[in-house]
Amino acid sequence: MTTLENKNTFNSTTLFRFGILLYWSLFWLINSLDKMIGGSQFLWVGKDRFAQFQRFFASASWENPIITNIALIFVSALEIFAFLFFTGALIHLYKRNEDSSRSWFIVGISFTLATFSIFAIGDHIFGDRLELLEHTLFWFITLFSWVAFVHSDKFLNVHNYVLPKKQMTASLLSITVIAMVTHFSIIKHKNEAYHERKDGINYALKGDDFYKFSFPFLAGSTSFENTLIDFKQNNPKKRIIEIYTLPNELRKQKADGLIIYILAEDKK
Amino acid sequence: MKERKIIQFSIILYWTTFWGLSVLDKIIPAVQKNWVGKDFFALFVKFFESLGIKDPLYATIALGLISTIEILNFVCYLFAIINFSRGNTSLTEKWFYNGILSSVVLFILFSIGDQVFGDRFQLLEHGVFWMILIASWALFKFASDPENRSVNLKFSKSIKLVLLSGIILTVLTSISIFKFSNETFSNALTPVQGKEIADGIYKFDFPFLADRIVLENTISSFKKENPQLKLTYIYTGPNELNSKKKTHILLYLFTE
Repeated sequence: MTTLENKNTFNSTTLFRFGILLYWSLFWLINSLDKMIGGSQFLWVGKDRFAQFQRFFASASWENPIITNIALIFVSALEIFAFLFFTGALIHLYKRNEDSSRSWFIVGISFTLATFSIFAIGDHIFGDRLELLEHTLFWFITLFSWVAFVHSDKFLNVHNYVLPKKQMTASLLSITVIAMVTHFSIIKHKNEAYHERKDGINYALKGDDFYKFSFPFLAGSTSFENTLIDFKQNNPKKRIIEIYTLPNELRKQKADGLIIYILAEDKK
Repeated sequence: MKERKIIQFSIILYWTTFWGLSVLDKIIPAVQKNWVGKDFFALFVKFFESLGIKDPLYATIALGLISTIEILNFVCYLFAIINFSRGNTSLTEKWFYNGILSSVVLFILFSIGDQVFGDRFQLLEHGVFWMILIASWALFKFASDPENRSVNLKFSKSIKLVLLSGIILTVLTSISIFKFSNETFSNALTPVQGKEIADGIYKFDFPFLADRIVLENTISSFKKENPQLKLTYIYTGPNELNSKKKTHILLYLFTE
């Protein structure tokens, strides 16, 4: 019995540590991949870091792209080494070599802390306070990961994972019923609303030559363009003199999607 | 090196740099060459004007007070890091504690200001920073490793493999970065080509690198290429119309 409890305790801690290492390994792997891929591609949008860095540096009068390239390479190297050390820690943990896993983990943590600290310095220089908040949060999460990893054996001692049979059956039944209702609702909404993505919309006349267009949330640029085409076809004697986008402040909080007004006049 | 020391050093270094740069941002006003920063004077003037206080003296005094506390923070962390490098644990802790205390006071003042001026987003931002500061202290002081473990990494075969893989991956990434940079840097200047989506209406999908220079070049080039058309109206497609994260900016030109 003692042996079984000890084994379970060990497993719960290892699983938790495995989760931390897996998160950071994937985090840096995908970040590194994003740098390798570059801009938006088929099946990968990512973030155009070259454009972002170039705009940051250009705002500080460093317009030569070589500076951006060097900065990106430096950051990528930190991210790649962070990825490799976290992955190494993951492999060591998988092989039950906990001491080595922890040593690799602290090196990965050091690379991660260095990366976010450098980003935070950049945020100060380029005046991006939102990114500063984001990077400080990540910096803190990194520190917290280390604490959680080191101390997980103290707060994770679940001895028995087996749930009562009755409750298991009831929970599975609940999951099935709720999932069916949810999926039915999603599919119904998709069938009813997906055409809104591209279809043009009708206007409401709000005054002489003053037209209102309320776009659904799903509408994209094609819907907007089709709306303009429809408007021009339906009103061949009118010319658009202005399109006004209702600002967020005048919308009914989150209930209104995009609303535009068209001002038109008779063609001369 | 001890794991605990790495973590503590990272924490003190982060906050020393944070406050050092915040002070520098106050010393360097507005946008300069090599420094963008944030124009806190403008921000404070606008906040006070929204209260009905138009005299810039109040904004100046408030900014002076905030800067003084920031300098105090910076000096505390600086002395903490100096004592840390000398191995004086007791003095490091004392300076770090004082730094945390004055930083927490500053974020409390910021939060009061955010509530008075009705800026809820900044309130969230300052609340998060306040929480991270307190947690930093807790991590520094109480969450340290009781075993006081050293980093136990030898220059083994696996470390050599990691170094080699890291160098290869960095070289590959560098090639990709240079290739992408060469292919796309022209987007910072080249005019965007329009597409006629309806009679007399042209759509321009601007790339991420584009800025006002590209806009000016685009319009100028469009007018040169279409001398017969009269540009009557320019409309910027609102964000709601963009495919999330993929489109930078959509511009529509109306012509006759």
